[in-house]
Amino acid sequence: MSTMSGVVAVNTFREAVRDRVLYNLVFFALLMIGAAILVGQISIGIDRLVIVNLGLSAISIFGLVMAIFIGVGLVYKEMEKRTLYSLLAKPIRRWEFLVGKYAGLVLTLAINTAFMTIGLAAALFYVGRPFVRSDASILVAVYFILLALALVTAIALFFSCFSSPMLSTLFTLGIYVAGIFAGDIRNFGALTKNPMMKGVTSAIYYLVPNFHNFNSIAAAAHGEPIPFALIWQNTLYALLYIVLLLVASSAVFSQRNLK
Amino acid sequence: MMAIPVLFALLFVLQTRIDARAQAEAQAQEELMLRSPAAIEKMSLGYNSLLADVYWTRAVQYYGERFATPHATFGLLWPLLDISTTLDPKLLPAYHFGAIFLSQSGNSGADRPDLAVKLVKRGIAANPKRWGLYADLAFLYYWHFQDYKDAAAAYLAGSKVADGPAWMPIMAARMEQKGGSIDTSRLVWSQIYESSANEKIRKMALDTLKGLKAEEDEADLNNLADQYRQRFGRFPSSFAEMRDAGLLRGIPVDPEGYPYVLGADGKTSLDPHSPVVIPEVPKTPPPLPKD
Repeated sequence: MSTMSGVVAVNTFREAVRDRVLYNLVFFALLMIGAAILVGQISIGIDRLVIVNLGLSAISIFGLVMAIFIGVGLVYKEMEKRTLYSLLAKPIRRWEFLVGKYAGLVLTLAINTAFMTIGLAAALFYVGRPFVRSDASILVAVYFILLALALVTAIALFFSCFSSPMLSTLFTLGIYVAGIFAGDIRNFGALTKNPMMKGVTSAIYYLVPNFHNFNSIAAAAHGEPIPFALIWQNTLYALLYIVLLLVASSAVFSQRNLK
Repeated sequence: MMAIPVLFALLFVLQTRIDARAQAEAQAQEELMLRSPAAIEKMSLGYNSLLADVYWTRAVQYYGERFATPHATFGLLWPLLDISTTLDPKLLPAYHFGAIFLSQSGNSGADRPDLAVKLVKRGIAANPKRWGLYADLAFLYYWHFQDYKDAAAAYLAGSKVADGPAWMPIMAARMEQKGGSIDTSRLVWSQIYESSANEKIRKMALDTLKGLKAEEDEADLNNLADQYRQRFGRFPSSFAEMRDAGLLRGIPVDPEGYPYVLGADGKTSLDPHSPVVIPEVPKTPPPLPKD
């Protein structure tokens, strides 16, 4: 990442902090404290399971909301406030600006996720459970959530290069949901026995980002090990898709008439 | 600014009235808007594990509200457990809970041992290395269907699991040889009591064990009354007479400390005030569920 992108990234992070985005951590902390106190009384022997499920799901949902609602405004806000023009007047190329904005939001999400993970660990500690080796799967699940969030941010950034925040939100959410159901979409095509339908649904399956790949919440909740092969495959998948989206975003943004 | 607390107070009063009416209606018509586990799984958008916990907690609360309530029905217990275990097939406590409370009758359960078997078999398919599920299946076959052969097979299958306890093959042999005896029933319920972490299940097991003890005591006391009649030509009129005849050491009491009642025909029964209940085994067991 170039120096200019780095500067843009740090400023994007500072902007997010100034916008009090990290205050969601307070709500998350309250949620985990409440869950830790209540869960033992109502969950009949599955307190660890409930806390891990609740904690990881909250990390995922909070992160998703941040990635979409901040991501769709990354470029649009700069254009609205007219700050983009003074920025691009400086020796920074358009793609460096985009990469910097993207990296800044991903940095915000990573820090947010890290604090939430600490909160989750504290809740597990409170219910009196010692940490065991199988808890490593919780960290892997958090890592997968972060990969998914980085991918969603890239999608949101892509749409924000040419669309309004409202439409970008809808498109990003739509792609996310399609990515969750990608497997089912392909299965529907296979069930129809129509070769063209099978082809179309298979194409959709491989085109949309398969977000279900990154879902390991259930495995982490049950303390099951996550294979190393899945870790590097998911990392590579996310990296490739993010690069693809950033290249596409740069292509669209560089052609855009900003007047 | 004063208006805000006043408005909140009014909202509080209004909400309690709405809740009271909703509660009355809810008890009249049990409602679960979405019953399809597959549909709920799709709608969960990947958060199926968390939703499973929500439905499981709801199942436990649903049962707890109705337990020991006269004329209570448990119509939603199966759908709630079905959804929980579809969303999270590894939710082991749900299978154990369902094995006991789906199968129990009266105001203790849904009286659907067939659904309990279906649930536990699904649990075994998803978790084949959990010996506890085989023990639950064996219990259902033994207690509710009097199918000692399938009960023995379930115990045997459980004993072959990696950490299967040593008592499982013994139980399998017991089923084959002495299925239906009070001793065997006591062993089955003792294992449930010792292996369950659920307080309600442990209490149910303990109550059943007390009932089995009372049943055994009644049979023994009836035998002793027959012996008295053979010796003296008439049934004893009290336990004191049996004690004086050397047939008893003292006045027998049930597991809750209530003295047994001796009838004029020499038959012993429980004190009407005793909380002990002798478990009823259906004379004609229900049909086994088809696979």
